Amino acid sequence: MFMPVSRTASARTPRAKPDAPRVEQVFFDDPAIDRLMGVVMALATEHYVLRDRLRALEEQLAAAGHVDMARLADRAEDPEDVTDHSDAAEFAEELLRPLLGLQQAAGASGRFSLKSRGRGRRRR
Amino acid sequence: MMDQRSFSAAQRFLLSSKRYWTTTLYRELCEEYRARCGPGREPKSVTQVAEIVEDLTLYRYFAWLERHLQRMKYSGRYGLVRYYDQHRDQYAATLEADTKAAPMLELNPNLKLPSYYTSVDIHCHPGGVWSDELAGFVYEHGARTTTPLLGRAHEDLHTRFADHIATQGTPDSILDMGCGFGKSTRPFVARFGDAQIEGVDRSEPCLRVAAQHAHDRTANNLQYRQRNAEESGYDDASFDLVTSTMLLHELPVKDMNAVFEEAYRVLEPGGRMVHLDFYHFPDAFARFLHYGHGRRNNEPFMQPLAELDLPRTLRKKGFANIEIAPFRESEGVDLDAREAWRFPWTVISATKPKQRKAARLRQ
Repeated sequence: MFMPVSRTASARTPRAKPDAPRVEQVFFDDPAIDRLMGVVMALATEHYVLRDRLRALEEQLAAAGHVDMARLADRAEDPEDVTDHSDAAEFAEELLRPLLGLQQAAGASGRFSLKSRGRGRRRR
Repeated sequence: MMDQRSFSAAQRFLLSSKRYWTTTLYRELCEEYRARCGPGREPKSVTQVAEIVEDLTLYRYFAWLERHLQRMKYSGRYGLVRYYDQHRDQYAATLEADTKAAPMLELNPNLKLPSYYTSVDIHCHPGGVWSDELAGFVYEHGARTTTPLLGRAHEDLHTRFADHIATQGTPDSILDMGCGFGKSTRPFVARFGDAQIEGVDRSEPCLRVAAQHAHDRTANNLQYRQRNAEESGYDDASFDLVTSTMLLHELPVKDMNAVFEEAYRVLEPGGRMVHLDFYHFPDAFARFLHYGHGRRNNEPFMQPLAELDLPRTLRKKGFANIEIAPFRESEGVDLDAREAWRFPWTVISATKPKQRKAARLRQ
């Protein structure tokens, strides 16, 4: 729902709805990667939400021996509370570390392709 | 219906991802950039930096995350817009109750909003800061994590700015241009209890939140008005301090010029104008990232401000004692170290000459 402020007709400015389709900003050579990143991050967010809920469930089960759904849903956490951030930070780091492109084990590296090497030599 | 726990967990994850971006990804990007440049061979221009950086795989991810972590903060299933929409009745009721007859709030439903203000959803905030009745709450919530490493200390930034101004003297009458939801104004209220303080902004939703805070604190030396900063409506020489925090970079150059002219007009002779904004860049790489940030964060006038010859502009408006200096947003910030991404905070200050000199300028 979108509730505009009560502006007079003379001052109201026509505008697109917030969810109107717009041309995306693109950061990779293939926009498929941009969109796939969006899927990955959406999944990661959902994953963290579930992790958080599971942890809460375990805490409640351990403490009271049964699940209190109202308490599960109502427990508000402060997103700025640094002490409550270590789990989220560890999860974010694990999720995003692959972007650094580090190779953990020694061995073959770089791009791998067999498609042109042999043919190229034969042509010569 | 999204429950509180799910919303908090999602926002916490996004903020943690932003912290990783701010620290690890940023430092790695700096390292790759340095390595590509070679020792002591960093380029001097933004376009040269772009040639070196833009095809780095890590930069693609850095840029993508800057854009999309902001998008996810505001939009989508766990976004701030949806959260406040789901609690609309509750928040709208508190606003109505606290600000309907608030003596410190003057609204103007006839205020004409410029197209540059309404055509871009600034900060990737759908609907911008002006069009939805709850946009002030959304913006206030989003702004808490604008600088992720500061966390709760983000509020200190504004206090430090007020403290900085206090080192140059205690003002009696203050105009805070583009005061938003009052985050920049409140430290002035606290610091300069005897001063009369006026905050102006275009956004009714933001001003309502500002007035709600003022209502909570029963401030009586404060007035919020829905006005354009460049046509503030105050008499000539009404203030001895005109200030803004993160306003200038939201303005096209033409409107920024008008704001400076208005500041000059409403300042009394000898009065000070002090803005906190983004202008000081230690190197071309910082400038390159800042220009990209403006594009990725839907702030199209960051680059024009950064490229403006501000000293010349202010001199032409008649200002004197022009000082432009980097500002440390928190204790211990090393302005030259690339330890973590940060805004290029800058204090831009100038004075309106005393009457005699001003008269000479007009001749």
